[in-house]
Amino acid sequence: MTTVKPILLAEDNPRDAELALAAMEEHHIADKVVVCHDGAEVLDYLYCRGVFKSRECGNPVVVFLDLKMPKVDGIEVLRTIKNDANLKPIPVVMLTSSREERDLAQSYALGANAYVVKPVEFQQFISAVKELGVFWGVINEPPPEGS
Amino acid sequence: MESATQDHPTTSPSATPAAEPMPAAPTPAWLQGNRRFVSWVGQWSIEQRVLTGFGLVFFGILVISIMSYRNTAVVVKNSKLDTSSHELVQLLGSIEEALIAAESGHRRYLVTGDDSYLKAYRGLVEQMPEFSRYLQALSGNSEHRERISQLEQLIRQQLDIETAAINQRATQGTEAVRHLALPGVAKRELDDIHRLIAELESSEQQSTRTRVLHSAGTTRSTIALLALGAMLQLVLLGSVYFLIHHDITNRRRVAAELRRQGELLQAANKELEAFSYSVSHDLRAPLRHIDGYAALLSKTSGEALNGKARRYLDTISDSAKQMGQLIDDLLVFSRMGRQEMLHSTVNLNQLIKTVIHDLRLDLQGNAISWTIGSLPDVPGDPAMLRQVFMNLLTNAVKFTATRPKPRIEIGATRDTPGEVTVFVRDNGVGFDMQYVNKLFGVFQRLHRNDEFEGTGIGLANVRRIMHRHGGRAWAEGAIDQGATFYVSLPLKRTAS
Repeated sequence: MTTVKPILLAEDNPRDAELALAAMEEHHIADKVVVCHDGAEVLDYLYCRGVFKSRECGNPVVVFLDLKMPKVDGIEVLRTIKNDANLKPIPVVMLTSSREERDLAQSYALGANAYVVKPVEFQQFISAVKELGVFWGVINEPPPEGS
Repeated sequence: MESATQDHPTTSPSATPAAEPMPAAPTPAWLQGNRRFVSWVGQWSIEQRVLTGFGLVFFGILVISIMSYRNTAVVVKNSKLDTSSHELVQLLGSIEEALIAAESGHRRYLVTGDDSYLKAYRGLVEQMPEFSRYLQALSGNSEHRERISQLEQLIRQQLDIETAAINQRATQGTEAVRHLALPGVAKRELDDIHRLIAELESSEQQSTRTRVLHSAGTTRSTIALLALGAMLQLVLLGSVYFLIHHDITNRRRVAAELRRQGELLQAANKELEAFSYSVSHDLRAPLRHIDGYAALLSKTSGEALNGKARRYLDTISDSAKQMGQLIDDLLVFSRMGRQEMLHSTVNLNQLIKTVIHDLRLDLQGNAISWTIGSLPDVPGDPAMLRQVFMNLLTNAVKFTATRPKPRIEIGATRDTPGEVTVFVRDNGVGFDMQYVNKLFGVFQRLHRNDEFEGTGIGLANVRRIMHRHGGRAWAEGAIDQGATFYVSLPLKRTAS
């Protein structure tokens, strides 16, 4: 494993993306982060197609998935990932503003590995994103490639 | 129901002052009586009116049936009398014929002495007992009986006289009876008999005519009664149909209305759900950005800013956080209203312990003296009840924070049968009872934010949850004397 496995952040809101990146910056993991701006782009990345046709193929270490995104929403992306034998091992963390029971239940039912509500307070947001990044990107051992 | 309520507007205007400017035309007594009756009936319930109406119609039909039966019985009796009267007339005719035949034969015998002329006479003598029996049987009324016995007597007399003449002729010869033969032996009796029979016949005819008239009258009245009965039955059927139709139409209307309301409610609920979903998702994002960029700004150029500018940045952050809290509380409030209720039994002792633990109250520097009584198990939704005591205890702690010796007491009473009341009493800042109704309103606060923090949703949530459990929430207090918050829960499940 010569290449560092990336963290895939699916976030349609550029400000949220910037704030998340700023948080990860503090732990020097921001350079591992690939940002997608909608669900379709996430799928393009995972299947190495469209603008990601030329990327070096391989699953990300973790996917941070927003629920509400243009084109293909988070739930759809989650369903696709968990229904694909090749993508299924990738840990998926729902990172969303919604605290609705319906979204929680649906996400876990589809096989989400974690569900995090974005705190309004920036300090909390930073520590949440940081901890997530460190845990899933550094501490957690990703599934072996090709499993 | 509806007709009862509709009656009032039509009857009441006559009694309102609108009628007073025209007192010149006094209403006639019968009309007043009528009105009084109408207003009296107007006070009855629809069931009473229907029962009374049906009762009257049933009574009418019963009376008509009895009268028709009696009329028919009269007609049947008259027709029997007619038959017997007809038979009597026929019998009288036969008797008269036989008498005439016997008399004329008897006369010829007296003249000629030929025995064969006595055949009719002998036949009559033989038949006489039978005639007599028939006459007795057919003699209906007393007047007839008298005449008939008179008739029998006359016939017997005539027969006796004729027998005597026959004997006379046999013993004394033809000459002795010649003077009798020419005018007939019992001329007087025979005339009397003719007269009596004619009288009887005419009397029978007379009474038959009377009966025919009577029967015709009775038949006519029976027909009229039956027609009236049929009409009453039609009225009865009609009203039954009307009532059932009215009822069914009403029910259909109400059902349709309910369905429509249900659909509207469902649509409104869906809309509300979509609304709070978008509030929770979309409204929070900009707040996060405000706070986030303010923090980034203070981090990147904090040193370059003066104290005033830093305070401005802090205020921006604080406001964003506060609004985030407001949105969260509002969402909880909205969720409490529509969330499905879980029905189980909640151990309040355990619940209070957990809440106090979760509030980290035991770790607070300002030592609160807790008095916790024995609390019962109650039916309810554990998460919702937890929210209730979380809010009440947070409030109690918050409003006793300024006291040197804060005291909080939790206990339960069972003053009303079928429900349990739990109270949370504190010796905090209290409140003015004149604002007690504002306590439980959404976004209603009795303290400024710089005195005590809060969004003004907690107690609104408490009241909403208690209502959903079929219970109540209320409070007592006085300024600087502390406050007591009560929640009562029904011990039997009545929740929506």
